[in-house]
Amino acid sequence: MDTDSYSSADAEIVHQVVSGDVNAFERLLKRYEAHVMRIVKKHIPFDKVEEVAQDVFVRAYQSLPNFKGDDRFKQWLSTITIRTCYDFWRKHYRYREIPVSSLSEKHQVWLEEATATRSSQSFDERDSQKEAREILDWALDRLSPEDRMVLELVYLEGYSVKEAANLLGWSTAKVKVRSFRSRKKLHKLIKEMSLTQRDEG
Amino acid sequence: MTPIKHEQEALREILRLAYLEKEKVEVGDRWQEEVMRRIRELGEIEERPSSLVMLQQIVWRLAPLTCLLILGLTVLLSSSDFISGDDVIQLLVNGTEELTLNQFFEL
Repeated sequence: MDTDSYSSADAEIVHQVVSGDVNAFERLLKRYEAHVMRIVKKHIPFDKVEEVAQDVFVRAYQSLPNFKGDDRFKQWLSTITIRTCYDFWRKHYRYREIPVSSLSEKHQVWLEEATATRSSQSFDERDSQKEAREILDWALDRLSPEDRMVLELVYLEGYSVKEAANLLGWSTAKVKVRSFRSRKKLHKLIKEMSLTQRDEG
Repeated sequence: MTPIKHEQEALREILRLAYLEKEKVEVGDRWQEEVMRRIRELGEIEERPSSLVMLQQIVWRLAPLTCLLILGLTVLLSSSDFISGDDVIQLLVNGTEELTLNQFFEL
């Protein structure tokens, strides 16, 4: 099915749901569950992924009257997904405990080796994504929800500033500034981590 | 590219790969049923009017009250010994009665 047929089929289903056929929503759910899951998995901790994915679809269902038929449903749903992920971090940030855990010497050594080789290929060969994920989660946990979302979208996923601004519903200027700041913070955090480990050693 | 820039790029690539790895995590297949359960519980969607329409409704609902308020204030002002700012300025500029500010405020 090409994009246009998908769009018109989506618009038709949306019309059915808004007209009172609640069960028709299941077709949209089946069609886009993988797409939503792909986004949510990247932004949300593993144990909360299912919960947030559910929230995305419930929120989409409640917002269906605002969906304009000439928009692309997939794009519209992506926006809702990103904003739901952002809301998750905002809530999480409000009630979180200040992270005190630091990384081990093993991470420091790994990071030094990985950046020294300067090759993603050798990174794959070393089969140590676990350390990279732990370092990434450790650093992201120390950023504000805004910085975290912008960093993930622009720095890690490679979205343009304009695309990220559309997804988050922010101005491009705000995304640009946040992107610059969050990148600096990330580098600072990792540098500090390296220095701490070196001092302890 | 400077060594620092080079190192930062290498770091970015490593973190990016680790980040994209998250996509491969397997999740359960029961959550979709939960979505539909929650949606059925919510029932049919009520089409809410847009915020602009809602604002218009509020404005028109308040219009008679605003008119009454304006009318009431006009009656109150005309029945009191009201002197407008223009009149005071006229008096001070023309000075026919040699009125001073002190006299005006009865000081």
